[in-house]
Amino acid sequence: MNRASKSLLSAAAGLSLLSAAGCAAGEETAGAGQAPAEPPASSPASAPGSAAGSGSYADGEYSGTGSYIPPSGTSEDVDVTLRLEGGVVAELEVETSQKNPTSKQYQREFTSNVKEQVVGKNLDELDVDKVAGSSLTSEGFNRALDAIRSEAAS
Amino acid sequence: MHTLGFEAIGTQWSLSTASPLDPGTRAAVADVVESYDRTYSRFRSDSTVARMAEAAGSFILPASAVPLLRLFDSLWQITGGAVNPLVGRSLEVLGYDAGYSFLPSGPPAPAASWTDTVSWSTDGRGTVLTTAAEVTFDIGAAGKGQLVDLVSEVLETAGHREYVVDAGSDLRHAGAAPLRVALEHPYDTKRAIGVLTLSDRALCASAVNRRQWGDGLHHVLDARTGSPVDTVAATWVLAADAMTADGLATALFFAEPQELSGTFSFDYVRMFTDGRADYSPAMAGVLFP
Repeated sequence: MNRASKSLLSAAAGLSLLSAAGCAAGEETAGAGQAPAEPPASSPASAPGSAAGSGSYADGEYSGTGSYIPPSGTSEDVDVTLRLEGGVVAELEVETSQKNPTSKQYQREFTSNVKEQVVGKNLDELDVDKVAGSSLTSEGFNRALDAIRSEAAS
Repeated sequence: MHTLGFEAIGTQWSLSTASPLDPGTRAAVADVVESYDRTYSRFRSDSTVARMAEAAGSFILPASAVPLLRLFDSLWQITGGAVNPLVGRSLEVLGYDAGYSFLPSGPPAPAASWTDTVSWSTDGRGTVLTTAAEVTFDIGAAGKGQLVDLVSEVLETAGHREYVVDAGSDLRHAGAAPLRVALEHPYDTKRAIGVLTLSDRALCASAVNRRQWGDGLHHVLDARTGSPVDTVAATWVLAADAMTADGLATALFFAEPQELSGTFSFDYVRMFTDGRADYSPAMAGVLFP
């Protein structure tokens, strides 16, 4: 979760979310990932009363809605929910309205399931019945390629 | 399992069945494959598709053309024209022609508009496809999958209930014993990025690593530009039938899964050229961590 939180966070911060994480209006330049100077002014859903902790934020769960305007001009809404523990973000969820295809493309990058590089394992270590990938090519295709290669090499 | 292997429509086939195929069933399989090839192959001069390339006109297609053309209509619409059977001409321009010249004859060429160039109708006598110009059909996006389904039908008709039809790693499975299938790494065919279980469904994959004939030249083209795609490296789709799985495996190079899920029921894994991947919820746990 931690790792996912971080990547979600940096992506969200990059969008300059407005009023994310319950920040008061006027603090919109603070990204969701940066600790603003003051405690959130509104809507701590389950925050303890005190602002104690390592930072100036009270631990607890916060949510907020932001919006940004991509080059297409269509405003996109972004709902952010995060949980602070010991002054750091322990969990973060981002939901987006996904109105236009280009925004969707960028948004998918931080709302999809996988952000890691895909890992490969050696086929001969796997007990499998079949392998599915790109179609095996026909003899005609391969023969033609071989002929071209040998011609090019001579 | 008993296995029958053969080469057809440009790929290697293998039919595995619990009981051996009798001669009649083998002949029926050969008939279905030959008839499909004679209709749709752009690599033989006596096919219906070869006649479409010579002149505009009306062409009679077999009954199986209806679901295929309907699928292409949907995919054309959802992908905004990126999936288009008229992409055959674009492939030829890049050198993937009937003679396998592999020599580009010009810059990438967009395919002719599907809806402006082709219309089709069906009645009791069959399906008639009418073209407004000479066109090079390439049904590669879904045709192999459909032929897997047609061969599966032959096996079902002959009473087989446990089988695997494998056409160059596009698969359809039926029977009690599920199949463990590795997802081939598109950049290293000795490796897999995950393993899934296939049971009473079809699995089709599309990837850009094979059928390459030059730097950046491969067979998955965006019909709108005629250029090979470069953001998606490989797709895998599970669906009830192989034609749908095959068509969606191509469409996922151009459309978001959510855009396709309104019309089709499927699961998928998709890997991008930068190494990221996404997948439908049912596929969680399939990829190696």
